[in-house]
Amino acid sequence: MQQLFAWSSVALGGGSVTFVGLLVFRRIRLYRLEVERQEAERRLEPLALALVNGEEIEAVDARDAGVLAGLLSRYARQVTGDSSSALAGYFERSGGVEREVAALGDRRAWRRAAAAYLLGDMGSEWAVGALRDALCDGSRDVRTAAARSLGRLRASAAAEELVGVFVTAEVAHGVAGQALLGLGSAALPALRGLTGSDDPRLREAAVELLGLLGEAADSPLLVARLRDSAAEVRASAARALGRLAAEDAAAAVRAALDDRIPFVRAAAARALGEIGGRDAAPALLALARSDHYDAAQAAARALVRVDPTLLAAAGHEGFGPHVSEAVDRAAIRS
Amino acid sequence: MPEDRPLVLVADDDDDIRSLVIFRLERSGYRTVVARDGDEALAVALERRPDLAVLDVMMPKLDGYEVTRRLRREDATRAMPVILLTARVQDADVARGFESGADDYIRKPFSPQELCARVQAILGRR
Repeated sequence: MQQLFAWSSVALGGGSVTFVGLLVFRRIRLYRLEVERQEAERRLEPLALALVNGEEIEAVDARDAGVLAGLLSRYARQVTGDSSSALAGYFERSGGVEREVAALGDRRAWRRAAAAYLLGDMGSEWAVGALRDALCDGSRDVRTAAARSLGRLRASAAAEELVGVFVTAEVAHGVAGQALLGLGSAALPALRGLTGSDDPRLREAAVELLGLLGEAADSPLLVARLRDSAAEVRASAARALGRLAAEDAAAAVRAALDDRIPFVRAAAARALGEIGGRDAAPALLALARSDHYDAAQAAARALVRVDPTLLAAAGHEGFGPHVSEAVDRAAIRS
Repeated sequence: MPEDRPLVLVADDDDDIRSLVIFRLERSGYRTVVARDGDEALAVALERRPDLAVLDVMMPKLDGYEVTRRLRREDATRAMPVILLTARVQDADVARGFESGADDYIRKPFSPQELCARVQAILGRR
């Protein structure tokens, strides 16, 4: 029995030493690889910078190509214009785009996510189709990286899918929103189309984004959404019209002050504060005296901008706590 | 290399940005000096008296606005043109840059070609 214990101890000790040895060996190997990579980066930096500036370079071997691609991806995040085009051209010619597109089919989620991310930095439009497909990947990390890259590539063709993943939260909200904002006016046709979607969540997101990216010509489309069957869409439409300071929509937004849902009334009041125009003042004052806290407060605050004279007079006539508060805020600001 | 080529100070704490700016400027015939933070930028500017400075806004120790203000207070660097390189995109930040005394600004990510064109435009005016 004692002998058995002794041999077991020896075996355990030997196993531990071997395991620690393997860990140390692995650590040393990783350190060496990192040193080699850094040395290669220093060596290849002039080549990478020349590529960024649109110069032709000699072909590099496969190992250096990987390091060069990493370096160029970093630079690609910092540059725009001709330099971006030069880098995209290099990645297309050197097979980098093709390789990463193929990696989107890898069985390992981290590799697919890395590829999706890298394709955005490479800046090649060749990757748009594959990245749109990657928005349906089973891994949230891959979908998020794909959304980010589609925004970087300003892939207007992906606008509808990006709104979709934004609404369903299949991608981190901030990333999908940033991607859509990155598309800028290129996203407008898709957003306009989505305001008529059957899904109220899509309509709401599209209307909200139109308020951020849209133009004066979108006002009639947004006014129509003030009569949407979903209250969230009506509130979004009011906010969007406020952001666009759509004066031609003032009457329609004023009418929304009578909406049966309080948060729509509050959104309409805030929007009128942005749009301005004294015509709205009496309706805002009436709402400021109402019982619903948010709507009344929003209306009183909007009055500060719309008609400060009327607000000041009302403040002395006992028009309620929200009007008094707004008068005080206006006094502090002035 | 002739020493009469214009000297440009490039101040940024990001190694990649510094490399990109320096490479483009040197390829276009400028000489460059480098700083990695605001303090160093100020010291180099006072010592070397560059013809123009490209300053990152968000730098350690002193930000680009403050460096610009201090450059404007010194007789030796009062007239030195300053281009701010900024990741900030709000109009208020741009206005703050001009109020601090900058001559121009470029938003990151940036086009190295455009940066060079702006440097040429400013130096050509003088």
